[in-house]
Amino acid sequence: MAPELVRMDNISKSYGRVEALRGVNLTVHHSEIVGLLGDNGAGKSTLIKILSGAISATTGDIYVRGRKVDIRTTTDAMAHGIETIYQDSALVNQLSIARNLFLGREPVKGPRFLDRLDHEKMNEVARDLLKQVGITKDIPPSTPISAISGGERQAVAIARAMYFKSDLIVLDEPTNNLGVEETRGVLRFVRSARDSGHSCIFIAHNIHHVFQVVDRIVVLRRGVLVADDIDPKHTSIEAVERIITGLNDEG
Amino acid sequence: MKQRPLILRLITRRELGPFLLLVAEILIFQSIRPEFLSPLNIGNALDFTVELGLMALGMTLLMTSGEFDLSVGSVFGFSAVLMWTLKNSGATSLAVGFFIAMAVAALIGLVNGWFVTRLRITSFLVTLGMLLVLRGAALFLTDGFPQRTWSAEGSRLASILVGELNFGKLHLYASLFWFIGLAIVLGYVLTSTKTGNWIQASGGNASAARARGVNIAWTKTGLFMLTSMTSALAGIISSIRTTSANPNSGTGYELEIIAMVVIGGTALSGGRGTIIGTVLGVLILRLMRNGIVMVGVPGLAYNIFIGAIILAMVGLHASLERRHQAEA
Repeated sequence: MAPELVRMDNISKSYGRVEALRGVNLTVHHSEIVGLLGDNGAGKSTLIKILSGAISATTGDIYVRGRKVDIRTTTDAMAHGIETIYQDSALVNQLSIARNLFLGREPVKGPRFLDRLDHEKMNEVARDLLKQVGITKDIPPSTPISAISGGERQAVAIARAMYFKSDLIVLDEPTNNLGVEETRGVLRFVRSARDSGHSCIFIAHNIHHVFQVVDRIVVLRRGVLVADDIDPKHTSIEAVERIITGLNDEG
Repeated sequence: MKQRPLILRLITRRELGPFLLLVAEILIFQSIRPEFLSPLNIGNALDFTVELGLMALGMTLLMTSGEFDLSVGSVFGFSAVLMWTLKNSGATSLAVGFFIAMAVAALIGLVNGWFVTRLRITSFLVTLGMLLVLRGAALFLTDGFPQRTWSAEGSRLASILVGELNFGKLHLYASLFWFIGLAIVLGYVLTSTKTGNWIQASGGNASAARARGVNIAWTKTGLFMLTSMTSALAGIISSIRTTSANPNSGTGYELEIIAMVVIGGTALSGGRGTIIGTVLGVLILRLMRNGIVMVGVPGLAYNIFIGAIILAMVGLHASLERRHQAEA
């Protein structure tokens, strides 16, 4: 197995007396797509928010490439190469594709005080990236996000994470509200991200989508990691569903 | 890569509607009263227009970032009163008073921004509170009486800000050039800079921008400061030009300014803004007031026209927006 990229060690999170996560250990290796499954309220979002710096854990540590890191903000997470893509909040609809790709890290040209955007560079990189993630349609980089489809938006977000050298891309429900063709596109983008050396955590309600793309499945139930090494090639969807709902131990 | 034809890009711009309206307005007034475009009337119409325009320019960037400021009219009145009180009491020279007033305006914007971004209170409530605080302060400071301002005559600061310039029969104030200069600078900032990208992103989708490391709080706070400072500058310029610093001046300007910005095509909900549109919006409303008086419509009917223009323009912008979405 490829070396370890990110390890979350003994993560717990409580809100007052409610324990959202209890002693969760999660490891992601290089060039690996991990499917994170669990019912509503199982703690998936909480775990991901801790990893992306949106909230902090009550206890537990995070290691990146074996080194302990301190992630307090989303900027910290990105500095360590961890990027989370939330379906609806990843992009600014009013801005163009190129402006979204470079948001927060805009290239500038000319004297510093002029703060001038390097539009040529932005458009050029944007065009290359869209091709790279597999968008074959000719979409000008100046197109506003509001004018492209849901699948294309995911592609833009994934392309951005790849360009800025995120080693671990966390995709939160990337296939929600997408049609069949669009979903297929997103799964292709995820695979192409892995093939170019990135790792992914893939969260989806639709287990079928997860099965089509991930290398390994982990399952959270009521804040506890109940399975961390399910091979989708040798396990049935029904078996995984039973683990998610807990029917195995109760039934 | 295909560029859309120039003509198509022009007609889909949101500034087109306001532009056509302005042209129509000028043509109609000019055909009824040929002296509408006389140098005398142009000069007269522009005096006060650029003062409101300065405030509208700051407000455009602030509204693009998703906030607005109701305290601009109060800052307009308060800053002039503050500067003249300092001068008349002998505490400072006019120039020092000017810089103190501008610094206080920046501080007012900082407080507005702090309440909105740190305490997460809507800008409506925060700036409504600030409106009352500053209006009250201006009245208290002056006991309700206007401040003497005639000593500005001949001072260097006064001529830099609002010196009179005569081009033949055309009579202008230097403030026009401050307005033009600021419009160019802010137009550049909004469309061509990294800061402009952050401003638009803050108003468009704050959580997405924050996740990319954009400092929303400072972007918005900076724009609150900018808006306060352009309002203070406008108030001070106006007080020198009209030789009166009245503690009540600027009352009710906030809504007219917001109307000008919205007419031009900037979204009240943030994310989209246009300086060119604002310049057009400012001219539309001010020339309307000027023209209505000239053609003899009773001044009391002015607001009917203003209201109708606002409704027509927001309707137009909304339908353009919907068509834009439908194309996708």
